[in-house]
Amino acid sequence: MSRATQNALVRDDRTAYETVTGTAVGLSGAAFAVGLTALLDVVAIDYSVAGLELSVAFGAVLLALGVSVVGFGMASRLGYVDAAPQPSAGIVAAVAFTGIWFAVGAVVSGAAGLGTGGRLGVGTVLGGIAFATTALPREDVGSTAPAGALAGLCGLSLVSGVVGPGWEQVLVGYNATLFGDTVVPVLVLFASLVTGWSAAKAYGGFGARGRNVGAYVLIYLVVCSILAVLVGLVAFVTVKGLPGLFNGFGVGGAGLVRWPFLTNGAGLLADIAGVFPALVGTVWLVIGAVLFAVPTGVGAAVFLSEYAEQGRFTGAVEVATNGLWSTPSIVFGLFGAAFLIPRFGNQKSLIAGMLTLGFMLLPLVLITSREAILAVPDEYRDASAALGVSKWQTIRSVVLPAAIPGITTGVILGVGRIAGETAPILLTMGGGVLPGKSAAPDVLGSFQLSASPPFVSNPALLEATSALPYQLYALITAGLSGNIQNPQEYAWGLALTLLLVVLAFYAVGIATRYYFRKKLHQ
Amino acid sequence: MSQTDAEAVTTTANRTDGEAVSTTAGETVEETRPEWTSYEAGGETKLAVENLDVHYGDDHALTDVSMDIPEQSVTALIGPSGCGKSTFLRCLNRMNDRIRAANVDGTVELDGEDVYQDGVDLVELRKRVGMVFQSPNPFPKSIRENVSYGPRKHGDIDTGLLARLTGRAEPGREEALVERSLERAALWEEVRDRLDDNALGLSGGQQQRLCIARCLAVDPEVILMDEPASALDPIATSKIEDLIEDLAQDYTVVVVTHSMQQAARVSDQTAVFLTGGELVEYDDTEKIFENPESQRVEDYISGKFG
Ligand SMILES: Nc1ncnc2c1ncn2[C@@H]1O[C@H](COP(=O)(O)OP(=O)(O)OP(=O)(O)O)[C@@H](O)[C@H]1O
Ligand SMILES: [Mg+2]
Repeated sequence: MSRATQNALVRDDRTAYETVTGTAVGLSGAAFAVGLTALLDVVAIDYSVAGLELSVAFGAVLLALGVSVVGFGMASRLGYVDAAPQPSAGIVAAVAFTGIWFAVGAVVSGAAGLGTGGRLGVGTVLGGIAFATTALPREDVGSTAPAGALAGLCGLSLVSGVVGPGWEQVLVGYNATLFGDTVVPVLVLFASLVTGWSAAKAYGGFGARGRNVGAYVLIYLVVCSILAVLVGLVAFVTVKGLPGLFNGFGVGGAGLVRWPFLTNGAGLLADIAGVFPALVGTVWLVIGAVLFAVPTGVGAAVFLSEYAEQGRFTGAVEVATNGLWSTPSIVFGLFGAAFLIPRFGNQKSLIAGMLTLGFMLLPLVLITSREAILAVPDEYRDASAALGVSKWQTIRSVVLPAAIPGITTGVILGVGRIAGETAPILLTMGGGVLPGKSAAPDVLGSFQLSASPPFVSNPALLEATSALPYQLYALITAGLSGNIQNPQEYAWGLALTLLLVVLAFYAVGIATRYYFRKKLHQ
Repeated sequence: MSQTDAEAVTTTANRTDGEAVSTTAGETVEETRPEWTSYEAGGETKLAVENLDVHYGDDHALTDVSMDIPEQSVTALIGPSGCGKSTFLRCLNRMNDRIRAANVDGTVELDGEDVYQDGVDLVELRKRVGMVFQSPNPFPKSIRENVSYGPRKHGDIDTGLLARLTGRAEPGREEALVERSLERAALWEEVRDRLDDNALGLSGGQQQRLCIARCLAVDPEVILMDEPASALDPIATSKIEDLIEDLAQDYTVVVVTHSMQQAARVSDQTAVFLTGGELVEYDDTEKIFENPESQRVEDYISGKFG
């Protein structure tokens, strides 16, 4: 290894080694990505690419990757390339490979029909070998050989068809069966993650730089897979829900668009069953809960962090609010049913639902507002006080504006939770399960003035109403379907609508937060 | 909390250092004589400090300080780091009340009225005794809002919706006040085109001058400045020094500084605090810098100590 290359600050000459190892990293990443899509059922593993079944192609790629990774290590060990490996791959890698190889040994020998003792024995031997191979040799061998062997093994089992599309395994004691279309992608994901890491280390020339690149690739791939799962989830609901949501959708007619799913009820009169009453119910529910919880929660947070003496009392309140936030929603529902319903005409009503969900939201708003207010630097308060500005004015004009982004984050999180709640609605507000269009609460249009107290009344608030999650629950769990022609499609469309409603509330919250952040830090 | 702890740690470190210096030098510590601090300035006394003691928990930060600060003049406070200058300054507008650990004994009279007696309205007091902090602390608002913040909250400028609807708003007045204050703080030229930008986007030195402008906008009677030029280049520093001298025509200015030259240039009288929170000498600035009574003050000024 020449000193000059070691110490160069600018490395502009890409060596052949770097090109080859970089390609291996890229290939691992690609295998990982395709593995993810296969796991999410976007492509089938028996889909044929260039005459090969996908799972066999996967196997070939893994086999090649495994062999090259071992080759990278050997090339470095034998001194053919410039690298700066450390004396050992380290205890963390050694323990990780020990665990992995123990599991491999136990599973493979189990499949070969060995008993428990035999399996443990094979696992221990393989684990021991893996530990020795990782920890004892120099880093370039220690972090490539066990990884390459692992990928090679996975590759072989796929190429040979030992594990493939038709494969299945009954899991005794779990009451479940593993199928090839789950196991193959998982094997691919796992092996390509390992080769990606190992090849990235080789790319960085091992040592500190190699570990840096290795960790980067590892984290990057894992984060990508988490994001993919999230996107996959949303995509799943979207794909399943679109037909229901756009059932009968068209442009023209009385309004500019005809969107029966969103504008119809589910009653007998509707030609295409829709979710209008439940949609309106959910929107009002969230608005009502937010209107109740945000002023009270923020007010309480201001009191607790600005006025109350920090001590046992505020500590107790904090513990209590944390406890309330983790209280199961059904308990809030029972509270609503036992306490609120008798006070609002002894029947389930929209306002009882709003208040119940408001009580659920309150602790989170309180906790996050309190954190946000405490995070406002004391310098602002001092500066304001030194200008002869009273405490309340300081809170209003300096502390709260600086805390709004944090408070908004809390409200966004809380709305996501309460919009999907079913149990409290079931107990406090859910009326007809599949209401017709006329059952939609007309809150704005129902305000009535009267000459005697309380002067304003609103019957819409006092009526039982439906909500999206409640209706979904009724459809799926209770198996009700009324006059809905295609309950499956309807249910998925409803789920998608609920998702979109929550996302819409998020969008409003995020826009608010963005606006105030920008104002604070532009 | 953690900030307080950290400061408490520095305290002990400072103390130990101080003692180490005096013991290694082999001197016995000189006694402070009362007549060194019993300076009587001409003119009316604006602030009369009597037997002021400040403790932070068990730490003694100021020991029995008495001094009279005359009206329409500049009083400089100098002394080594950690000797209690900022603490003394904070006593004058009772900002120490906001520090939980701080415990103040003694009296501070503003125009003959004790500010530590019961029933003092702190909001009023701080309107009359303004303060510029040691580290710049602009609000996360626009430059304009920073400057007009005080007057707006005091109701001197009304730009609220109601005022605009009823025609009581005087936008011109706000503009004029903002311009005048920034002008005096030597910042106007740099920010005149970006008054609506966030103040946190200003440089450290610009923020320092913005804080001075913000304080001036409230038009207090006494202005306390804690190292107002610590982050400024020579040009801005000399502008701020001009401002300080200029302010002394109408206001009472108390300024903490680490620069002897600055103290000598701008102040009429100088108070020297030394380690332990002791006021060692207080006299005409000329006298302090040319012929101090105390040996320790002389050492400090000539750079041998602290
Ligand atoms: N909030 C506080 N809590 C506890 N101790 C404090 C606090 N503020 C200051 N002190 C202590 O009081 C002493 C005097 O501090 P002060 O800030 O008044 O010094 P200073 O003379 O202004 O120093 P510098 O020139 O570095 O600003 C120091 O020992 C400091 O550690
Ligand atoms: Mg200070």
